[in-house]
Amino acid sequence: MLKKISINPVTRLEGHGKIEIFLDDNGDVHDAYWQVVELRGFEKFCQGRPAEEMPRIVPNICGVCPTPHNMASVKALDDLYSLEPTATAKLIRQLQYNAFFIEDHFIHFFFLSAPDFILGPDADPAERNILGLIGKVGTGIGNRVIDIRKRCRNIMGHVGGKPTHPEGGLPGGVSRGFTEDDRKGLIETANMCVEFGKFAIQLFKETVLGNKEYLKLVRSENYSLKTFNMGMVDENNQVNFYEGKLKVTDPAGKEYAFFDSRDYINYIGEWVEPWTYVRLTHLKPLGWHGLTEGDGTSLYRVGPLARLNVADNMATPLAQKEYEIMFDTLGGKPSHQTLAYHWARLIEALQAAETMQIITGDPLLTSKDIRNMNLKLKKVGIGCVEAARGTLIHHYETDDDGIITKVNLIVATQHNAAPISLSVKKAATGLIKHKEVSEGLLNMVEMAFRAYDPCLGCATHTLSGHSPIELIIRDSKGMEIKRLNSI
Amino acid sequence: MKTLVLGLGNSILCDDSVGLRVIQNLKNRILNPDISIVEASEGGLGLIMLLSGYDKAIIVDAIQTKNGQVGDIYRLSSDTFTGSRHIGTLHDVDFASALQIVEKLHIPLPVEICIYAIEVMEVNIFSEECTGKVNEAIPVVVEKVLQECIQSNVL
Repeated sequence: MLKKISINPVTRLEGHGKIEIFLDDNGDVHDAYWQVVELRGFEKFCQGRPAEEMPRIVPNICGVCPTPHNMASVKALDDLYSLEPTATAKLIRQLQYNAFFIEDHFIHFFFLSAPDFILGPDADPAERNILGLIGKVGTGIGNRVIDIRKRCRNIMGHVGGKPTHPEGGLPGGVSRGFTEDDRKGLIETANMCVEFGKFAIQLFKETVLGNKEYLKLVRSENYSLKTFNMGMVDENNQVNFYEGKLKVTDPAGKEYAFFDSRDYINYIGEWVEPWTYVRLTHLKPLGWHGLTEGDGTSLYRVGPLARLNVADNMATPLAQKEYEIMFDTLGGKPSHQTLAYHWARLIEALQAAETMQIITGDPLLTSKDIRNMNLKLKKVGIGCVEAARGTLIHHYETDDDGIITKVNLIVATQHNAAPISLSVKKAATGLIKHKEVSEGLLNMVEMAFRAYDPCLGCATHTLSGHSPIELIIRDSKGMEIKRLNSI
Repeated sequence: MKTLVLGLGNSILCDDSVGLRVIQNLKNRILNPDISIVEASEGGLGLIMLLSGYDKAIIVDAIQTKNGQVGDIYRLSSDTFTGSRHIGTLHDVDFASALQIVEKLHIPLPVEICIYAIEVMEVNIFSEECTGKVNEAIPVVVEKVLQECIQSNVL
């Protein structure tokens, strides 16, 4: 008989996501699934609305990544109305978007990842958090994170109307630009972000690379997953969060596909399994091969590590230098080490900060030419961006009056849902033996899950920003015998 | 006294939007420049940072309690939520943890934070309307917030 372990997030929408780990009679891991329960009806809620309402509505389906939803939606409207945003509008959008990346990536690292490494995966959960981190490394870091977050959110709020759930994007441009009076503050923020980005990477390298045990963990087979990778690249094959084509590389690193996001339907398949409400994505030409890695897999990963794996380079010099160090340390490209997602995340934050520096110095930024109004409805619009946690696609169809008739969203956590299940299984297999489950071991299983920075709300089209982890161990008859909380 | 009146919620999740609806009704009733009327969909650290810099904060939000009756209105203090929460969210911290963080970082917060919470029924469906009894509670909460401002001599 199988025994079952559940790692169950308790959200306001309780029970809407959990990890189930099944043990065999020997108490070893037999299988693992990441499950999410969906609130249905979002697509129907959108039908019958003018397409222009979508950028206002879609940020509300996610408490974690509203800015990418707003941006993907605005880009879908660009496509729907056959519009190319003005050069200044593009700069403003990218300034907003890179500010989002910086804020989001630093929050994830300092609030969620860094405690695992700086306080240690075996540390008391009551201490293994941002408060414990501040206690160990001092309040200075905490204040810098808060300050940078505030500054980035001010930029996002300026463009989007408010920092979270932005509403400012318009087809063909933006609703509000910047003035020369704004520029000084923007440059100051960009410079601060670059300095902090360098500091964060240095902290990671000192803490993780300087600790043989942690480095061993990062490189271990338990935290490795050999799948395809997908991410957006620009015309130079460099990492780009806002625009470009989607590139897929195989587990050996060879290019498998390179396509315009408008053709996503030919490359990305969605598969329904009875154990989850997330429509699991895979490479459509290969077909669904189940939860497998390595040879024969049709799964791919998205997000920071995947983006760095598919790109030839980073787009900015400091980030490029760190990119080379990372792959040298990990043994070359591609890297399949799940915990390297944290490292890649910091390199991306540095690129975003450097990009912000470039944009804030561009004379075009303060031009008044912020919108192209030459609208020509073509009834289908597809927008794609890289969200902090991976590729995000919005697909809208309308009638002759621009009223929504169909909506399809493919989000980062959907792409990663099957790989997350596999990663959890691998980590659990290596760490849980003969039913021995300690708090520290469980956290190390959770680390496999947390590295993806998954967003339940996005994947299920529900609002959810809070998902503490709860572990339930059941005996072979399904009776609960132990419960551990990380909250 | 610099005061924040803050409505929280998600505008497309049915009763969850009640805090935002209350604030929309207050916008035409409070014209004092010392009082900021703000709608937000924030939690954790984002919420706490919104409060920073004010002397007093009045928050309006939806709540679901074990034995609550839909439409019930509660007046709570921020202490209500401390002591029972811990850290461990996927991408942010909860309200109580965020309070601890800003205290540790010496970020100034309002001396008084009060919360008007409305017991709600439906937060799991997509709708831009609140349900009946929650809708009926909106004008009542609007008056309570106005009274709160008057009693604090900020209106």
